[in-house]
Amino acid sequence: MTDTIATGEAFEKRLPKPEELNPMTKESLAAAFAGESQAAEKYLVWAEQAEAEDYPNVGRLFRAISFAETRHARNHLRVMGGINSTAENLQAAFEGESFEVKEMYPAYEEIAKLQGNRQAGRSISYALKAEADHMGQYTEAREAVLAGKDIDDQPVNVCLVCGHTVIGDAPDKCPYCAAGKEMYKTF
Amino acid sequence: MTEPFKNTPPAPESKGEMTAANVAAALAGESQASQKYLAFADVADAEGYPNAARLFRAVAFAESTHARNHLSVLGQIGSTEENLKAAWSGETFEIDEMYAAYNAVAKLQENKSAQTTFRYAEAAERDHQFIYDTAHKQVKGGQDFGPESVWVCPVCGHTVIGTVPDYCVQCGTTKEYFKEF
Repeated sequence: MTDTIATGEAFEKRLPKPEELNPMTKESLAAAFAGESQAAEKYLVWAEQAEAEDYPNVGRLFRAISFAETRHARNHLRVMGGINSTAENLQAAFEGESFEVKEMYPAYEEIAKLQGNRQAGRSISYALKAEADHMGQYTEAREAVLAGKDIDDQPVNVCLVCGHTVIGDAPDKCPYCAAGKEMYKTF
Repeated sequence: MTEPFKNTPPAPESKGEMTAANVAAALAGESQASQKYLAFADVADAEGYPNAARLFRAVAFAESTHARNHLSVLGQIGSTEENLKAAWSGETFEIDEMYAAYNAVAKLQENKSAQTTFRYAEAAERDHQFIYDTAHKQVKGGQDFGPESVWVCPVCGHTVIGTVPDYCVQCGTTKEYFKEF
């Protein structure tokens, strides 16, 4: 999950760097970033499906190619100037979550209700609730980093079903989707 | 897991067009958030904020669960045979249409870094197109993909089955940086 890799000068010098971009090229990069990001996520899900169907090598292949798409996504993001200092990254992360919580998901939830799409409604409501967790967590982290400190050394637990995110121990039951404690992944 | 989990993830359903479009847009949003947070985690580690890095990785994972739920509602988690076919189609679109067009514009506008990142991606998507085609044929014949290692260049995404090359043919990165799967 962490995709931690060796880095060094020989590695860094080959990475595409941020540059002054023309608007059309910037649009292309943004669209390519969206495409690579979705491919990376799809391949991870399809890896799990392959493993469930007892194709472990196909599962491994999907994970490898997902990693390759992650590297493309990151290169596109870097060229667009989207990777900055941690303080700036936390601010950008907060703004993204804030948009999803205040604008995107409430609108989508209303439309899913109007159209009677219950499963879509659930998927949207899970995300909406978890993004509200993230807003608070990113705000606290940004304040710490602006004061020159890291956040506290505590585990972060994430519900595998709905993405509920809690700093510290996992609850006995997910407050959003009622999954049990054993359904949490600890970071 | 002790007992089967009763509250299953959101399932595919027949949807209104606006809702389908919204769930697709939400999948795009969650996927991008997840990738951004993974990149931000590496920066936090490099700046000496390991706990902030852990938070970014945890939240990236949370966004992945949302992306998976949205993908499920969209009916895009098929059988492995169908998934490999869909993966091949996606790579083919990127090679034949998307990166071809984006590259042309970046060249016209002389944006050099953009050309580099598009070129890296397009070359790797060609690897993926071929590999997915091979895997699709094997799964269709009831077989798993081969047991060989899959090596990925972390700079450009060049993907090789079997033995790692001494250096990347696309970007020149040496073999010690390649990630093995």
